[in-house]
Amino acid sequence: MRVHERQRETARPLRAGEEGQAAVVAPGVTFKNLTGQITAIPLQPHVPAFWIACFGAATVALCVMAAAIAILLDVGVGTMGNNIPVAWAFPIANYVWWIEIAVGGSLLSSILHLFNQSWRNSINRLAEGVTLSGIACAGLFPLLHLGRVWIFYWTLPYPNTLTIQPQFRSPLVWDVFGIFTYALASILFWYLDMIPDLASMRDRATARLPYLVYGILALGWRGASRHWRIHEKAGILLAGLLTPLVFTVHTVVSFDFAIALVPGWHSTIFPPYFVDGAILAGISMVTMMAIALRAKFDLKNIITERHLNNLAKVMLTTSVILCYIYVFEPFTSWYSGDPYEMYTVHNRAAGPFAWTYWAFVLLGLGGPQLLWWSRNRTNPKRLFLIAFLVVVGMWEERYMLMVTSLGRDFMPSAWANYAATAEDNALLYGSIGLFLTVFFFLWRTLPMISIYEVRQLLPLSKPGGGTVK
Amino acid sequence: MTQPKPYGMVAEFEDADSLLAAARAARASGYRRVEAYSPYPIRELDEVIPSWDLLSPMVFASGVAGGFIGFYMQYFIAAIVYPTNTRGMPLNSWPAFTVITFEMVVLFSVCAVFFAALLFEGLPQLYHPLFRIPTFKRVSDDGFFLCIEARDGRFEPAQAARFLQSLDPLKVWEVDSE
Repeated sequence: MRVHERQRETARPLRAGEEGQAAVVAPGVTFKNLTGQITAIPLQPHVPAFWIACFGAATVALCVMAAAIAILLDVGVGTMGNNIPVAWAFPIANYVWWIEIAVGGSLLSSILHLFNQSWRNSINRLAEGVTLSGIACAGLFPLLHLGRVWIFYWTLPYPNTLTIQPQFRSPLVWDVFGIFTYALASILFWYLDMIPDLASMRDRATARLPYLVYGILALGWRGASRHWRIHEKAGILLAGLLTPLVFTVHTVVSFDFAIALVPGWHSTIFPPYFVDGAILAGISMVTMMAIALRAKFDLKNIITERHLNNLAKVMLTTSVILCYIYVFEPFTSWYSGDPYEMYTVHNRAAGPFAWTYWAFVLLGLGGPQLLWWSRNRTNPKRLFLIAFLVVVGMWEERYMLMVTSLGRDFMPSAWANYAATAEDNALLYGSIGLFLTVFFFLWRTLPMISIYEVRQLLPLSKPGGGTVK
Repeated sequence: MTQPKPYGMVAEFEDADSLLAAARAARASGYRRVEAYSPYPIRELDEVIPSWDLLSPMVFASGVAGGFIGFYMQYFIAAIVYPTNTRGMPLNSWPAFTVITFEMVVLFSVCAVFFAALLFEGLPQLYHPLFRIPTFKRVSDDGFFLCIEARDGRFEPAQAARFLQSLDPLKVWEVDSE
């Protein structure tokens, strides 16, 4: 069968159990129009109004954050609502929330890569964009929470005249190493994976400046069979390294809590509970971004209903696991016989911050249950709304975890209430601006759909003539 | 003016099947320095055009080195340079050191994958003689190219051109090395 005949074919035929589902790539996509469609997003001189609106709003929020950081550095951490006993509130809740969102993107790019899930090819670059933007926000909050940001390097082991060194038995130090490794590994994986697509950008750039920039970034990629073999091998190795890294990074974040003796935190269920919640929140954010961008940039032939359906199923599965954990939390605290643990459960559900608990239960646990209905999984508007509710709900959960456990721990005389200040809110909403600024900047400047991986989904790419094994 | 040295003889093909068949034919007729260029990985080509790398051993060695460095950094600081009594733990409280040891294994391994991949791919190499072929831009879109390189002992321009023409290519180019 010759090329022009095969190009008329749809993507691969459905496997057993997939009848009635949309294809991974819509019919009619060829090499030529695929490359043109994706490279046009950064290369087209005309900037879509949707992008300008989103990027503009995001940069305004980013300016708010910059102002809030300036005030924080000028005045000190007293401008935030944190105080003893609630020393961790908004900054750490934001930090955990952003790390969760980043982790969800890594799931698509590394874990599903190892499982050879070809549907992820269309959205893994986008998910990695979410990861990088999320890490940018997450990395900022522990620094701001330090107060004296300019001496953050005191947390690192280096020879110094004070002869003081980090305390390696503390999970907070583990976290420094974990987040640093995770950020660097994510950036290297993302860039290495993008080199063939940067070559596509280089070869289609007509203006001099984009040609030079993409040419340098593509490092002279020629698509030689040797290049591809090493590229694929490196991809598998990196995915294999990132998979345990992703799990340990969020496990270490949960150790920040679980290794403390505070009631409601000191629990062995925390690592799986945090990782599962992270996948739920992260996949929800990826889903929101995928839905918005496929509609506004006309990518419905590459990000199909099948992707939305699969993302929704991941959300549903992780939310069911989270429900199990939330059912068992009261049981384990009752079974422990510890009055402080039992009081914390009561305090969460009926104390002054009960609204955060019930907001999470309603949005984070209840919201995804709507995905049991298949029309909610494939209708982009409904799925976007549900994913949004989950992302909000997961923030409520992290906030609830901070304020209920720290505010009322052991001695009632040491209890205190917590109230967020304008500074806290400015930093939270500003960080959303930072996230969207980074994400939309990447979207407009780099190929945010993996072109060479989608090419491999086309029937044309199968040697032996369009037939599929 | 001296005649420039040839880099090789290049043929463009219509699709992956023709490229694969051409690569097989070139190897069968005795050419050893053959390279295929395609817009996506073609696994069957790896058997036709063998190549080698040391990615896995390099990554393994870096991971082991990272683990040793990670653990002994902590041991050195917590037990020798700055010993502190934390919750009555022994100074060499190795279970508490496992997390950072693991993170350092991953950090070193990931950096090794990145740099070893670029090393064995021969990148960055911003300029290459093949970029002078007018349609070579298609290699990152829908172009399939096969190059018989001049450093092959059996390379003889006219004969290589005749051979490539016999494989039903779209076009054949002679590429100079500079």
